[in-house]
Amino acid sequence: MKADLVHLENIHKSFNGVEVLHGVDLSLNAGEVLALLGENGAGKSTLVKILAGDIPPTSGTITIQGTELARLDVYQARQLGVRMIFQELNDAPTLTVAENIFLGQWPKNSGLVSWKELQRKAKEVLDRLEVDISVDAMAGSLRVGERQLLEIARALTQNAKVLVLDEPTAALSNVEVDRLFIVMQQLKSQGVGMIYITHRLDEVALVADRVQVLRDGNSVLTTKGKEASRDDLVTAMLGHEATKNARPVPVVTTKKAVEIKNLSSFTEFDDVSFSVDEGEVVCIFGKIGSGSAEILESMFGLRPLSGGEISMFGEVFTPKNPAHSAEAGIGYLPADRQRLGSFGSRSVAENLSVRAWHNMGRFGFVKSGLEALAFNKWAEALRINSRRGPTQEIATLSGGNQQKVLLARWFEAKVNVLLLVEPTRGVDVGARRDIYEIIRKQAKESNMAVIVATSDYEEVVLLADRALIMARGKIVSELTGNAVDANTLVSASS
Amino acid sequence: MSEPQTTKHPVATEAKKRRSIPATAPLVVFLLAMMIFFTITSEYFFDIENFRNILVAMAVTGVVCVPGTLLMISGQVDLSVGSAAAVSGMILAKTVNSHGIAIGLLLCLVFGLVIGLINGFFVTVVGVSSLITTLGTLATLYGVALLIGNGQTVGMRNFDWLGTAQPFNFPLPVIIFALLSILGAIVLRKTVYGRSLYAIGSNPNAARVVGIRSNRILLLTFIYSGLASALAGAILTSQLSAGDPNAARGLELEAITAIVLGGASLAGGRGTLFGTVLGLLVLGVLNNGLILLDIPTFWQRIAQGVMLILAVSFDQVRQKLNDQR
Repeated sequence: MKADLVHLENIHKSFNGVEVLHGVDLSLNAGEVLALLGENGAGKSTLVKILAGDIPPTSGTITIQGTELARLDVYQARQLGVRMIFQELNDAPTLTVAENIFLGQWPKNSGLVSWKELQRKAKEVLDRLEVDISVDAMAGSLRVGERQLLEIARALTQNAKVLVLDEPTAALSNVEVDRLFIVMQQLKSQGVGMIYITHRLDEVALVADRVQVLRDGNSVLTTKGKEASRDDLVTAMLGHEATKNARPVPVVTTKKAVEIKNLSSFTEFDDVSFSVDEGEVVCIFGKIGSGSAEILESMFGLRPLSGGEISMFGEVFTPKNPAHSAEAGIGYLPADRQRLGSFGSRSVAENLSVRAWHNMGRFGFVKSGLEALAFNKWAEALRINSRRGPTQEIATLSGGNQQKVLLARWFEAKVNVLLLVEPTRGVDVGARRDIYEIIRKQAKESNMAVIVATSDYEEVVLLADRALIMARGKIVSELTGNAVDANTLVSASS
Repeated sequence: MSEPQTTKHPVATEAKKRRSIPATAPLVVFLLAMMIFFTITSEYFFDIENFRNILVAMAVTGVVCVPGTLLMISGQVDLSVGSAAAVSGMILAKTVNSHGIAIGLLLCLVFGLVIGLINGFFVTVVGVSSLITTLGTLATLYGVALLIGNGQTVGMRNFDWLGTAQPFNFPLPVIIFALLSILGAIVLRKTVYGRSLYAIGSNPNAARVVGIRSNRILLLTFIYSGLASALAGAILTSQLSAGDPNAARGLELEAITAIVLGGASLAGGRGTLFGTVLGLLVLGVLNNGLILLDIPTFWQRIAQGVMLILAVSFDQVRQKLNDQR
């Protein structure tokens, strides 16, 4: 059957002589949601970039709405109704919702922007999506999920026929995810075809009509959304069967590393107490906004405290700022990798060594070669895939590989306490397992206390020695050993 | 992509072969092409004495370009260098006449330090962008320079060695510039401070969150810039044997043009001192060639402005090409 909306046939793509897509087909019908799965580096991004006209394919044909094209540029793709919604926001935060929806295409009245018309039309679009956001609100004042809906609304006003959603739920809370899915249902009924890239397998059955799995530049599985079992999908993505979600072997510990007593911030969390032993991995599980990430921010000196006490190895520690905390032997991995974590234009080796420079030479000097050496050591241990070795710019790596570099940054700095916020957001299944494995191994080997703030219950099950559950700024329960399971976590946190 | 990593690891050496276009390669080609052109068109160009002139002419700008490059890499800019040089020159001329060379030089450098502190304070503590802060000090200090000499130049006696001495038959200002450049290059490549500048420029938010003391580092760099401006002012004043409030006008434009030509990105996180030196040579050779060809000096200004725009455009094009690979 020839798809009526998009049909990519036998797409090959090479970069610098290295072929990354080996003849992939993809088709999409109007009013259909196609989930595109695959590990980082499988070729998903390259494929959708080709569809959006961002990069030309080396060979293959692209047919959009019956028009066959050998080459496609960005403008042509837009003309044909292809729109991409990225994880990163592309809006203008200081403009209103209405202005953002019609960004650059404001309705005009004899050459001047007609504000009335703009507001009316914007409201119309939002109503069509059944989204309740004020059109006069500043885009920057909205939550991440709402801003994403805004981008979808903008795409619609530009007559989108094909929407590519690149991991839209990565930064969303559960409520926001539900709302996004409702909007997607709306779009389906209006005949919009959607390619939905995600790492969350549980979403596939919920939204996708069909699933396509890419692995190493080949299409390895295409099936109906409802028929795809989780195991089948994981096997297709990895190329081998995944190990079961077994609980890790608990660490036997005795020495307290961190003790938190009655810690409060002004608005985000209240009267939180817990402790973490050396070598132990404790997960604080809670929805976005529950206060779990904010506790870690406060511990690292990124957010002021209004009360309580933090002790490290028996001594009171009052965080002042990140530099002070880092020098006290604390490491911190932020959730927003691009904005707060990586130095995009610098090499992977530099990104990895930034906290260890002081130990790489004397009198403020960094011995040449040590950065590369450190990178090669961790690249092997963490299976970091950097095609051009230590000198490759970090921004050119996949999300999972970038995250591994940022983790290794703190391992190399030999911290005693490591704080991780959403450590596997936007990271594929394979890399995710690598990351869990290495965190546990490092914690054990170097007696490091690890505290993880996460909204992903699977992560808690796979990673934690102990789980603290947070809701509305308070710790509501604590689970240890085999009591840590998905059902208990989800029901306790809501 | 600018600094080669010296390592024997096979992955790294293999990686070198597949390097993207180095930022400096086209600049070298351009410089050579210009030199060939001027050699053909002017009989005076290819001459040791003329080369010496070129180097002397770029030394003063070069001195402020060293910290200027560090600042640009960290995503900052110092526009006050010209005015600061003018004021320190005036101070020098006045005090050398009355209190001698040592006191004069000391005061001159103290002034540079203070200006660096002021610029750095507003950028790091108050949080004003460096573009605006130093634009303000640029205007203010120009006024101060005029004020000191009452709008006139101030003659200075018995202190021309800093600007004109030739130890080992080589102009002292050029030696000073060369030493500063080498020192700067080592600092950038080999020290924690230098590496931190790249990190801050590449992503200031991440630099803070990873625990780099950015404010301290930037303040220090603004102080270097202030000191270098004072030194440049001193050299200039010594060359002219007079403090001239207008002598260093446009120094900031020339410095930034050279730095950007050399491949430092205005967005921060990229750049090398080697590139900046090449940029300075390009400007130096261009100015010199235009003079030798008897082209009116107004054209030098025009050429410089055009070069700045070309340099920035080229930077953009190069980045796009590299992204596409």
